[in-house]
Amino acid sequence: MIRARPIARPAELRLLAWVAAFSLAGYVAVVAAVSGRFAWYEIAVPAAVLAVFAALHLFLVFIGFRGDQLLMPLAVGLTGIGFILVERLAPALVLQQLSWLVIAAGAFCITILIPRDVSVLARYKYTWALLGILLLISPLLPLVGREINGARIWVGVAGVAQFEPWELVKLALVIFFAAYLEEYREVLSTPPRRLGPVPVPPIPYLLPIVAMWLVAMLVMVLEKDLGATLLFFGIFLAMLYLATGEPFYVVIGLAMLIGGGFVAYHAFAHVAARVDVWLAPFGSDLRFDQAYQLTQGLFSLANAGILGAGLGNGMPERIPVVWSDFVFDAFTEEVGFVGALALLALYLVFAYRGMLIALRAPTVFLQLLAAGLSFIVAFQTLVIVGGNAKLIPLTGITLPFVAYGGSSLVTNFMLCALLLRVSDITARVRR
Amino acid sequence: MEITFAAILWGVRIAFLVLLYLFLIRAFRALHRALAEERVAVAARQLGIAVLVVTRSHAGGPRVGDRLPLRAISSVGRDAGNDVVLNDEAASAKHAIVSFADGEWWLEDAGSTNGTLLNGSRVWDRERLHYGDEVAVGRIALRLEREQ
Repeated sequence: MIRARPIARPAELRLLAWVAAFSLAGYVAVVAAVSGRFAWYEIAVPAAVLAVFAALHLFLVFIGFRGDQLLMPLAVGLTGIGFILVERLAPALVLQQLSWLVIAAGAFCITILIPRDVSVLARYKYTWALLGILLLISPLLPLVGREINGARIWVGVAGVAQFEPWELVKLALVIFFAAYLEEYREVLSTPPRRLGPVPVPPIPYLLPIVAMWLVAMLVMVLEKDLGATLLFFGIFLAMLYLATGEPFYVVIGLAMLIGGGFVAYHAFAHVAARVDVWLAPFGSDLRFDQAYQLTQGLFSLANAGILGAGLGNGMPERIPVVWSDFVFDAFTEEVGFVGALALLALYLVFAYRGMLIALRAPTVFLQLLAAGLSFIVAFQTLVIVGGNAKLIPLTGITLPFVAYGGSSLVTNFMLCALLLRVSDITARVRR
Repeated sequence: MEITFAAILWGVRIAFLVLLYLFLIRAFRALHRALAEERVAVAARQLGIAVLVVTRSHAGGPRVGDRLPLRAISSVGRDAGNDVVLNDEAASAKHAIVSFADGEWWLEDAGSTNGTLLNGSRVWDRERLHYGDEVAVGRIALRLEREQ
């Protein structure tokens, strides 16, 4: 992996210059608007953030990395927007988020350097599956598990540090799915017998899908985490479809998910509450109670207009826990439709770029890996933005790179590094 | 003084949006460039998976040693519209077809007047073509080789 000669990455550097420009402008606007003045020493925080970005660029240049030059600027551009929003919504947490960024950058570099060959990851697929399941159930364990805001998805020592293991589960599971589907793709995609127009798949083919469905349902019921359930099952179905090209798996999977959701709605109060809040947040019994967060978010969105209130000029602080759950609404309120469109377009380019990397990758495992990783980013954005806008029930998924949160930032930087590794392999194979 | 501060603040706010869009435009442009390169790469891959090397020719025909690139399906003949153009009176306008399917190369005669020879024997049906085989069309002989 380590090549002696540095390779210049001019396109990446140019894009990073634009990231630096808009990050500084946004940060200055927020500080000036909130405090009514601007002192030059306040530039220290964004300067430190940009220094980390520059260090990542220099790192890639000096190890002679040949991978994609667009992905990293997009990821750090979104992170830059994230810092503007943390300064706006929770200024007390900025330094904490900065230290998480340093850890995330370290995780990025380690992911770039350590696996000498990404394809080796496929060899330990059941280790990844086991690790994923262990991480998934770890919040349920007595001593380390923590329940915060009604969801039991945290691991940590009280008062010291907490981590959301689910974030790491995503990566472990995508590696496992990619390796598993590469091996059993042929078996799974043999055409099923048909009973008239209805495909009748033999029972063994349905076992993996049923197992995954059971795990997803357990997560929903025991950890009370709707977002993880959706994302977990969504990744599995998407990768299954990519590997086999059989739409009937998706149809069956969605039917099972809807069926499970329907039963859970009637059987479990926490699921019913989420759906009721989504259907009628302004109902008189909910609006100042369980639906308060969502209604305040909707007022924020309604206040946005075309150009928004201006950075630092809105009232997003009225939304409870806005810095981790409702950053999209807060950002939209202050920069309007125009800014929200740009933010979503950045995710679009990121996911599109990831899919291109998947298309060009030399082996099926690498293709599925890259496609799964890009799908995570796209799907998470869809689920949380949809939740913030009351298009689907709200879940605890974070807006990738932007929302405040250490586990999410670290994992997303590792995800970006893995995608870059796939593109680096492609670049080396093709030349 | 207050008005100036507010005006500068609005200037910075608008600058943020403008810069964000400039970044977005550059990102889209980089994406577009990559797609254009991909199209060129795909076109290049179709041409040049293997070549026919000219081993015997005559004055006016292709020179001996010329490497004629093949596509996944290439037509061979005298007509200028063919993928492999052979200037020889004994070759038909559309003489033969060389194709790559199921991981193998195949040769078939396209109803030529004087026939196509594979390693000296006349091709009647679709024949397997191995690397190093000799194909004769009219007075010209060609050998299938891997592209280096």
